[in-house]
Amino acid sequence: MSGELATWLGAATPNGSPAWLEAWRTSARERATALGVPGSKQEAWRYTNPRRLFEQAFDEGAAVLAAEALAPLLVEGLEADRVVLVNGRYAPEHGRLGALPEGVRIDSLARLLAEDPEAVRPHLGALADDPAALFPALNAAGGADGLVVLLAPGARLERPLELLHVTTGERPTLAQPRHLIVLGEGAEARLVERYVGAEPSIAHATNAVLEIDLAAEARLDHERIQHDSAESFHLSTLYLHQQARSRYQGLNIGLGGRWARTDINTRFAGPGAECVLHGLYLSGDGQLIDYHLDVDHAVPDCTSVELFKGILYGQGRAVFDGRVFVAQDAQRTDAAMSNRNLMLSERAEIDTKPQLEINADDVKCSHGTTVGQIDPQMLFYLRARGIPEASARRMLCLGFAEEIIGRLGDEALRAEIAALVGDRLEAAPLD
Amino acid sequence: MLSVTGLRANVGDKEILRGLDLRIGPGEVHAIMGPNGSGKSTLAHVLSGREGYAVTGGTASFEGRDLLALEPEERAQLGLFLAFQYPVELPGVNNTYFLKSALNSIRKARGEDELDAVSFMRLIKEKLKVLHLDDSLLKRAVNAGFSGGEKKRNEIFQMALLEPKLAILDETDSGLDIDALRVVSEGVNALRSPERSMIVVTHYQRLLDYIEPDFVHVLYKGRIIRSGGKELALELEQHGYGWITDEGAAA
Ligand SMILES: Nc1ncnc2c1ncn2[C@@H]1O[C@H](COP(=O)(O)OP(=O)(O)OP(=O)(O)O)[C@@H](O)[C@H]1O
Ligand SMILES: [Mg+2]
Repeated sequence: MSGELATWLGAATPNGSPAWLEAWRTSARERATALGVPGSKQEAWRYTNPRRLFEQAFDEGAAVLAAEALAPLLVEGLEADRVVLVNGRYAPEHGRLGALPEGVRIDSLARLLAEDPEAVRPHLGALADDPAALFPALNAAGGADGLVVLLAPGARLERPLELLHVTTGERPTLAQPRHLIVLGEGAEARLVERYVGAEPSIAHATNAVLEIDLAAEARLDHERIQHDSAESFHLSTLYLHQQARSRYQGLNIGLGGRWARTDINTRFAGPGAECVLHGLYLSGDGQLIDYHLDVDHAVPDCTSVELFKGILYGQGRAVFDGRVFVAQDAQRTDAAMSNRNLMLSERAEIDTKPQLEINADDVKCSHGTTVGQIDPQMLFYLRARGIPEASARRMLCLGFAEEIIGRLGDEALRAEIAALVGDRLEAAPLD
Repeated sequence: MLSVTGLRANVGDKEILRGLDLRIGPGEVHAIMGPNGSGKSTLAHVLSGREGYAVTGGTASFEGRDLLALEPEERAQLGLFLAFQYPVELPGVNNTYFLKSALNSIRKARGEDELDAVSFMRLIKEKLKVLHLDDSLLKRAVNAGFSGGEKKRNEIFQMALLEPKLAILDETDSGLDIDALRVVSEGVNALRSPERSMIVVTHYQRLLDYIEPDFVHVLYKGRIIRSGGKELALELEQHGYGWITDEGAAA
């Protein structure tokens, strides 16, 4: 079994690492080995069989990317500081960070672990505590680097921070970055996280873990754009912990990957906090886009909104598995979860399962799902104005997506995503 | 310009157009009146190519082409325009983008160059003014959240922009307040020309006071049972439909 997992589990911790780090890695290693490669009989894997992922050989991949290879991966006009990771490793030569204000630390996880391990010790693995989760355990065991953002109380990033992750190599490579985003009381930031592949036809794999800790009144706007290459595997697990009156706005765009699975686990730890999770996914031939949300209203007076919209075409598949849990004393919880899907083909498949588990009595909770096709009346209206059918369909799909795309924080990103979605739909088979 | 002969069309098993004849020459304005459910909107939809109607007989030619064989967008590109009785809301579809796509599709089909952004905006602003519409409309989604009257005005605004050869206005007056009715009518009249024809579907003489028709037709149970000049509308206003439908039924 560990044969299949060997690349994932990585090399032993470098000598001279602190004992706590070594212990943490060892325990992750043991946990991953004990969990083993999951089968589709397990509930969490009901819709997907991850076995094929482990049957493939991956290189570790070097953190090398030519400047000419980076240029086409950038978003034109995006005004942001930038940090680049290549195959899971921090690549400072590609970054673009201005002078950081007081109380702001943006650095490589590997570098901090080597030079100032105490700075990350309280945060590393602090939130990723699900003992049954295989991929986060693999990441803990085998991952070596990632982005660390530490904001002292009251600190704020003046400009958005772009985290660009690139997988690249002539052979399939495995990247396992781990990012720690820790905002002190009242701190504020906007993070634009983008995953891209440099080679369209190579099946790279990414297994990312994010741990986001928001202290009271902290505020994070977080855009996540998964645009890995078509053949690749993308896994990412987000753990979010929110103290009182903190505010998190997450926007998940899922476009790329043969199999892309995103897990989002959020937990409220103080009253008055708000968590907004929006998502847009596009799934076409041979693709599986897979979202698993677990929203834990552990305390009273918190608000959560989950709205995910999907466009499926060809033989595309998608999963929306959302769960909102309301604890017994989480009174006055306000939670609304919905998943809406636009099916452009009869061969496309959506498994959608929004669930509420409510144990308190004074709450406002709702959930809903829609699965529909393009409205023929809308289509006719556009065609009656001279717009050819294929363009009219594309306009309506983009109109459907606009509710999410329109929430992206700046025009450059909105234009980029609308163009990516539009191009994909243009190439999509009409059936 | 338009020649319809013996047109028959069904929705499901129900025959709605039952041998309808209509000829429209260049520059003419024809009013079509008739009781609810007589088939006025159905005629407009069949002519503009909406799905869901089965044409079981007759012909319709427009500018010498067999209209019924064309896709809806081809009809629009040839110069046919339908101002919908119930304009559809298109959430998320930006109005400017929509108008530009429509105009450029039509220009392209006519062999004209696409308009650049500057000329397009200039044209748009000019047409907005004619319909007394606010610029803010351009940033909104097509018809989404528009009031009933705004939707109707938006239809005529689109017509002004697309400059069709034949416009079918399906109850454009319904839902308009008195001032809006005047503005819309002025917008329509500004587009009247010796080359441009119109079919104005309405229930009320009031609209025809503003947009004077050359011909008035009564559509009843899927056929045109009476045609005349503009005085026919006045007679209908006074006497209702009974006096002709009785004759029509007897005939
Ligand atoms: N999709 C449909 N399914 C069933 N019946 C239909 C459909 N479309 C039209 N009809 C029927 O066809 C008849 C004619 O409808 P149409 O909308 O053309 O009338 P109209 O003359 O425009 O009426 P109004 O003055 O009320 O607008 C009506 O009896 C209507 O119920
Ligand atoms: Mg009607």
